[in-house]
Amino acid sequence: MNTVVRLTLLQTRRDRAELTAWILGIAGLGYAAAAAVTTQFGGATDRAALMTVAAASPAFLFLRGLPDGIDIGAVTFFQGYSFTAVLAGLMSTFLVTRHTRDDEDQGRAELVGSTPVNRAAPLQATLALGAGANMVLAAVVAAGFMSAGLPTSGSVLAGAAVGAVGLFFMSVAALIAQIMPTARSANGVAAAAVGAAYLARGVGDALGTADASLLRVMAAWPSLLSPIGWGQRVRPFTEADPLPLVALTAVGVVLAVLAVALRKGRDLGDSYVAAKDSGPAQAGSGLRSMLGLSWRLHRGTLAGWCVAAAALGAVAGTLGPLVRDALSGNPSLMELMARIVPGDAGMVDLFTTALLGIAGILAAAAGIQAALKLRAEEVEGRAEQLLAVPASRSRWVTGNLVVAALSTTAVATVAGTAAAVALSLTQAGGSGPGAVFAAALAHIPAAIVFPAITVLAFALIPRWSSSIGWGALGAALVLGQFGELLGLPAWLQDLSPFRHSSAMPVEAFNPGGALLMAAIAITGSAAAAYLIRQRDLTA
Amino acid sequence: MQAESSPVIHTTQLVKNFGRTAALTGLDLSVTPGEVHGFLGPNGAGKSTTLRILLGLIRPTSGTARVFGIDPWVEPVRAHKDVAYVPGDVTFWPNLSGGEVIDLLSGLRGGADQRLRAQLIDEFDFDPRKKARTYSKGNRQKAALIAAFCRPARLYLLDEPSSGLDPVMDAVFRQHVRRVSAEGATVLLSSHILAEVEQLCDKVTIIRSGTAVESGTLAELRHLTRTRFRITTEANPEALAAWPGIHELRVDGNTIEFDADGADLGSVLDALASAHISGITATPPSLEELFMRHYNQQPAGQNHQVL
Repeated sequence: MNTVVRLTLLQTRRDRAELTAWILGIAGLGYAAAAAVTTQFGGATDRAALMTVAAASPAFLFLRGLPDGIDIGAVTFFQGYSFTAVLAGLMSTFLVTRHTRDDEDQGRAELVGSTPVNRAAPLQATLALGAGANMVLAAVVAAGFMSAGLPTSGSVLAGAAVGAVGLFFMSVAALIAQIMPTARSANGVAAAAVGAAYLARGVGDALGTADASLLRVMAAWPSLLSPIGWGQRVRPFTEADPLPLVALTAVGVVLAVLAVALRKGRDLGDSYVAAKDSGPAQAGSGLRSMLGLSWRLHRGTLAGWCVAAAALGAVAGTLGPLVRDALSGNPSLMELMARIVPGDAGMVDLFTTALLGIAGILAAAAGIQAALKLRAEEVEGRAEQLLAVPASRSRWVTGNLVVAALSTTAVATVAGTAAAVALSLTQAGGSGPGAVFAAALAHIPAAIVFPAITVLAFALIPRWSSSIGWGALGAALVLGQFGELLGLPAWLQDLSPFRHSSAMPVEAFNPGGALLMAAIAITGSAAAAYLIRQRDLTA
Repeated sequence: MQAESSPVIHTTQLVKNFGRTAALTGLDLSVTPGEVHGFLGPNGAGKSTTLRILLGLIRPTSGTARVFGIDPWVEPVRAHKDVAYVPGDVTFWPNLSGGEVIDLLSGLRGGADQRLRAQLIDEFDFDPRKKARTYSKGNRQKAALIAAFCRPARLYLLDEPSSGLDPVMDAVFRQHVRRVSAEGATVLLSSHILAEVEQLCDKVTIIRSGTAVESGTLAELRHLTRTRFRITTEANPEALAAWPGIHELRVDGNTIEFDADGADLGSVLDALASAHISGITATPPSLEELFMRHYNQQPAGQNHQVL
C-alpha cells in the first residue's frame, strides 16, 4: 500500500471520534438553523420582517452575514453560514496542527520518519485527511439542509461553501505549522487567522449597502479580504455562483503545495520562526510557587488573547459610527432603523453591545484554556513531579484557577478599554466610554463560570474535562445566538451563563444575575479544589 | 529508640486495581531508616504504581501504605515534607530552562542548597540555560536528579534514576546516592541494572505481578542462588544426576556441568569426593541468575486480570 495512504489511514484512526463530533456538531447547527427558519418563519411576511430588521441592524450584519432575500434557504444561509464556516476553519486548524507540529513536539514524527517514507509523506497524509474531512463535512451539511426541506442544488452549494472554507484553513494551518515552532503557537496563529477572517467579513458586511427592497445587503470591500466572505458570495439559494468556491479551493491548493515544499526544505522539529532555545540559569523568585508556575505557563497565551480582545474592542468602538455614517446615505433605511431603535445613539449602542458580547465569549475561552492546562500537566506527566512536593493538590488547582480567572478578567478588561478608547476618539455619541468599559466588565461573572465548570470537570472526570469545557462554551454560544431563533424554552436558554449577564449599555446592569454567576463560579471552584484530593492522579 | 527503628516505608497487603487490571496484588514492603533499598522487577510488575501510592498520588484499592508513619493519601503534604522524587518518565515544561525547572521543583520543597546545586550542575556537566524542550532524555534525567539531590531529604524515591545516563554520569549519580546514604537518608531505588543494585543497595525487594517475591539483604539473596560446578571426571554422569541437590546436569564428553543449591553444597561435595575428579571449577552464586529466574517466569495460577 502507498505510504501516504497508510499514514492517512493511521491519522484517520486517531481522529475518528473527534472528527465525527466536529462534523456532526457543525452539520447539526446548520440543520437546526434550517429547521428553525422553516418552522418559526414559515410565512413569507415573517421572513420579510426578519430580514428587514437584519438589514437595518449592523450588529446583526456583523455577527451573521448578509441578508439575501426571503427565500427559506437564503434566510437559513444568512443565519447559519458564518458560524458553521468559523467552526469548519477551527476543525481544520486543530486537525492539521495535531498531526504535524504536535507530532513533532511529542517525538511521534521521529518514529514515523524513521520508516521508509518520504519526508513530506505525513504532511501529505494530513492534507488528504483534512480534504476528506471537509468533503464529508460539506456532504453532511448539505444532507442536513436537504432533510430540513431546502432545495437540493442550493443545499449542496451551501455545504460546499462551508467545506471550501474548511479546506482553505486546512492549508493555512499546514503552512503555519511549518513556520511556528510549537503546536501551541501554531494553533494560536492559525485560529487567529480564522478569527480575523470572521472579523473582516463582519466589518465588510456591517458596512454593506442595502438595496431598495431593504431585504438584501451587498458587502463592502473588507469582506473580500476574508475567505469566509468569499464563501458567502456563493449565494447558494438565490443567484448561485460557484466561482468563489473554485477560487477558495485553488488558493487552498497553492498554499498546501507551498506547505509541502516548506516541509521538504526543513529539518524535523525545526521551524521557520525560530524558538528561543536558552533561558535563565536560575529561576526568578516568581517561579517558586504553584501560582507562579501557572502564571509563567499561561502568560504568553494570555498575551495572545489580549491582542484578540483589543482588536475586537477597537472594532466595536470604531465601526459603530462608521456604519451610522454609511447608512445616512440611505434615507429609507434610516427611517426603518429609527423605528426599530429610536435615537441616533441607540444604534451605536446596539452595535457596541453585540460586539462586547463576543468579547465575553473570548474571555470565557481564555479562561477555559488556562484551566485546561491542569489536564495537560497531568497527561504529560508533569503533575506527578509537582505533586511529589509538600504542597497540596488544592493549591495546585487553586493557583491555576486564579490564573484562569485573571485571564478572563484581563480579556474582558482589554476589550472594554479598547472599545472605550476607540469610542471616545471617534466621538460617536451613544453611551460614554465609562459605560462601555463597564459593559465589558459586566460579562466577567458569567465568563468565569466556564473555567470553574472546566476545573470541576477536571476534578471529577478528568478525561472529559476538555470536551466539557469547550462543549459548555459551544452550547452557551448556540443558546445565546440561536436560542430565540430556534424558539427554545426560556428555562433552557437560561442555562447559558451569558443569559444572566447584562447586555449593557442597552440593558441596565442587573446585579442579581452577576451575583448569581459569581456565586456559581466560586462554588464550582471550591468544590473542584476539594474534590481533586479525592481521586487518583491519572495519565 | 523505638522511633529510630520504625520503618520509613511500610506497606502491608497493598492492592491496586486499575479497572479490571491488577497492578498490585498484595505487596508487603518495608524499608528501615538509613537503608538503600533496591526495588526490582520486570516491566509492568508494579514498581511505579507502588511509588505513586507512596507519594499519595493514587489511592490503594486495599491495604495500607505508610511513609514516616503517615498515610500519604490522607496527608500528602506532611508525608512529602522530607521526600525527594525522581519519576520514571521525566517530562518538563518545554519553555522553562533547565535551571528554572530545578529551582521550581526544589523551591516547592523549600529551596535548594545553593552550594550543592552548583556542585551538582558542575559534576553532572549540565547546562541549566537550555530550554527543557531541547534536552535529550539523559539531560532531562540529570535535571531531575539535580532537583532531587540539591536539597537534603530524609527519603529519596528514585524510579529507574540512571536510565539514559552515560557511564560517567552514572558514577556521579552513584556517588550522590552514597553521599545521602552516609548522611543518614533512606533511599528506595527502583532499577533494572544489576551492577547498580549490587553496588548501592543494602537490601533488595523483588516484585513480580504486583507482589513481593523475594526480600532481603544481598547476602541472603545470594544464598537463594545456586553454585555452578564444572568438573572433569571418569565417573558415570548418570550416577551423579541421581544425587540430591544437583540440577541442570549437562554432559559433554568427560566434562560435566551442573548447579547445586546452597543448602545442598555439603552433600554435593561429599558426592564429588568419591567421583574421581581430575579438574573442578565452581562459580559463585550470581544475583543475575536469581533475577533472571524471577523476571522470566510467570508464577503459576497468577493472572494479570482481576476476575
